[in-house]
Amino acid sequence: MESLLKIENLRVAVENKEIINGLNLNVGRGEFHIVMGPNGSGKSTLALALMGHPKYEIKEGKIEFEGKEIVGLSPDERARRGIFMAFQHPEEIEGVKIIDYLRLLLEKVKGMEPLKAQEIIAKKAKELWFSPDMLHRYINVGFSGGERKRFEILQALLLEPKLLILDEPDSGVDVDSLSLISLKMREFHKRGMAILLITHYGRILQHIDPKIVHVHILKEGRIVLSGKEELVERIEKEGFKKVFEECGCNE
Amino acid sequence: MNDAQEIRYQIEEQIELLSERNKEPEWMTRLRYRGLKAFLEAPHNDPVIKDPLEFVIHRSQEIFPEVKSLDDLPPEMRSLLDRLGIAEVEKKYVTGLAVQSDTSIVLNEFLKQWREKGLIVESMEDAIRNHPHLKERFMHLFDPGESKLAAYHTAVWNGGVYIRVKSGLKVPMPLHLFFLIQNSALAQAPHIIIEAEPGSEIHLIEGCTSPILLRHSLHLDMTEAYIGEGAKLRLSVLQNWPEYVHTRPMTRARVGKNAEFINTTVGLGTGKSNIANPKYWVDKGGYVELNTIILGKKDFYIDMGGEMYLQGIGARGLNASKSVIMDNSRVITKGIIKAMAPKTKGHISCDALILNSSAKMETYPGLVSHVDDAELSHEAAIGKIREEELFYLMSRGLKEEEATQLIVKGFVDPLLKDIPMEFVVEIRKIIEMAVSGGF
Ligand SMILES: Nc1ncnc2c1ncn2[C@@H]1O[C@H](COP(=O)(O)OP(=O)(O)OP(=O)(O)O)[C@@H](O)[C@H]1O
Ligand SMILES: [Mg+2]
Repeated sequence: MESLLKIENLRVAVENKEIINGLNLNVGRGEFHIVMGPNGSGKSTLALALMGHPKYEIKEGKIEFEGKEIVGLSPDERARRGIFMAFQHPEEIEGVKIIDYLRLLLEKVKGMEPLKAQEIIAKKAKELWFSPDMLHRYINVGFSGGERKRFEILQALLLEPKLLILDEPDSGVDVDSLSLISLKMREFHKRGMAILLITHYGRILQHIDPKIVHVHILKEGRIVLSGKEELVERIEKEGFKKVFEECGCNE
Repeated sequence: MNDAQEIRYQIEEQIELLSERNKEPEWMTRLRYRGLKAFLEAPHNDPVIKDPLEFVIHRSQEIFPEVKSLDDLPPEMRSLLDRLGIAEVEKKYVTGLAVQSDTSIVLNEFLKQWREKGLIVESMEDAIRNHPHLKERFMHLFDPGESKLAAYHTAVWNGGVYIRVKSGLKVPMPLHLFFLIQNSALAQAPHIIIEAEPGSEIHLIEGCTSPILLRHSLHLDMTEAYIGEGAKLRLSVLQNWPEYVHTRPMTRARVGKNAEFINTTVGLGTGKSNIANPKYWVDKGGYVELNTIILGKKDFYIDMGGEMYLQGIGARGLNASKSVIMDNSRVITKGIIKAMAPKTKGHISCDALILNSSAKMETYPGLVSHVDDAELSHEAAIGKIREEELFYLMSRGLKEEEATQLIVKGFVDPLLKDIPMEFVVEIRKIIEMAVSGGF
């Protein structure tokens, strides 16, 4: 597969503490990658660093997207090149109505006409179970956990990125929403988007063909183990501790 | 000749000119002279204008052609009206537009029709001659001696408008007023009197945006509103002054029994300094709302006070302000609510969004209760745009500027509920321009 995202020897620090230390990862166009790892191992840090969060300082290494270095680019430039990250904890933005925001997004990022934007927003919102009323609320303000996650997916659906980074889209969502999000992931994959999914559980893969996934295990800011779908099952059954002991990853 | 004498002559000369030009009744000329006397004696304590004389002496001599209809307006004014979408507004509301020029009002068809029903809109100069009872209204909510600027206004006021809505008359569409003062040899001191008789309803929108006004650097407008029992008055003022103008808007209102006054001010271009301290006296069951939106930028100094006297049982007052503050500007809010009768309620809320660290916001809510069972409260929230919310929006592809504008718009919007959509669009544009530094 042609390379889409190439991370080489990446070191990332937050408030002078190194969280990612020497991470390598390749994601080809249209590939489906899963990153797992214990709490605090640096999964969200990786996602935020890829998106260019100003607090996450790149100490060393390279991040190439479509063959071009993106370290140093602002978050909006990265987004415009086709990277989208669904947050583990989406921000509340008081006062900003979803409908105004989505319209502006489609206009500025996709160059869409207002009427066309309106139409598409209404259609996609419905697919993700948002009522027209909901679109007049403020971004994430007072949203339930599941609503927040569905709203992240809605934005991805509207923006159609080339690389979709999903940071725990399954945490805090009910069974039905989980199934919906899994179905949407399948749809994204079918449309040729590459996916980098951060998760703790295999359930989110219910509608995904197990054969297509690549799995990576993160430990203290480094990928210590990579494999196929079986790795997810193994971790769910045995837990990280045991797996790390077995693979000699604690050295 | 010493300075004081020189000033006296200058103002006397202006008074004589005005009284002759307007063929004023004697009481008005006497009132002007009372203003002059007070001007020489009254205290002056303006934090920005150290010496008011500076503005008395400097006068330009430009003369502008007379305006009879909208077509005669100078091109800048026309283009401004276009920019504000007045043509649109006019279509939509069957036209409630009156343009005030020096001494006459350019009336359109709409106003002619409504005059028969009991809506009077006249230039203040005409009204003084036509309505003797104005003697009991003019400068009755102010005292010429309370400050040098009030005194100066009394002496040389010119322009302005008189509006009366007959008892029970409900005017269904907003009436737009634009001030155009052409004879810039005079100070900028329009006087406005609004009488909403019992049970009447009207919404006035004042656009103080005239680019013609610029020849003067001090603007002293005064508004006196008398709102009768059960009447409803909405007064929305849009200010967009050039940045070298100092403005001292003075508004006062007597809110009658069960009457309602919604006073909204949107200060987009507040001028170099803008100090307002509107006062409201509210009778039994009456309600007053002061909504202020302020855009503070550059080195502007803005002080928006507001005093509400809840004098009747169950009277209520709300003073809500939202400020967007940037550059080196300084914004002060000093709302005061006095509960003087049982079961009164007052609330002051003050929200500010500060866009950079050199901009300053100060807030001093004043709640005073003379009774036991009044409910008085206040809240203030002064904040910055958080890095996390900016990152969220930018991570989706919005530029920093676009994201900031979106947040600012969301912050300001709730207070624009009384403003017709056409203006809201214009207001948003101005705010966007300011936030992106293109202003
Ligand atoms: N902004 C920050 N300030 C300080 N420390 C941070 C910050 N962001 C992350 N960290 C620290 O970096 C480490 C990795 O955090 P990260 O959120 O990347 O973990 P994670 O793998 O996503 O965990 P989880 O599974 O709980 O979501 C943690 O120790 C965390 O406390
Ligand atoms: Mg995380």
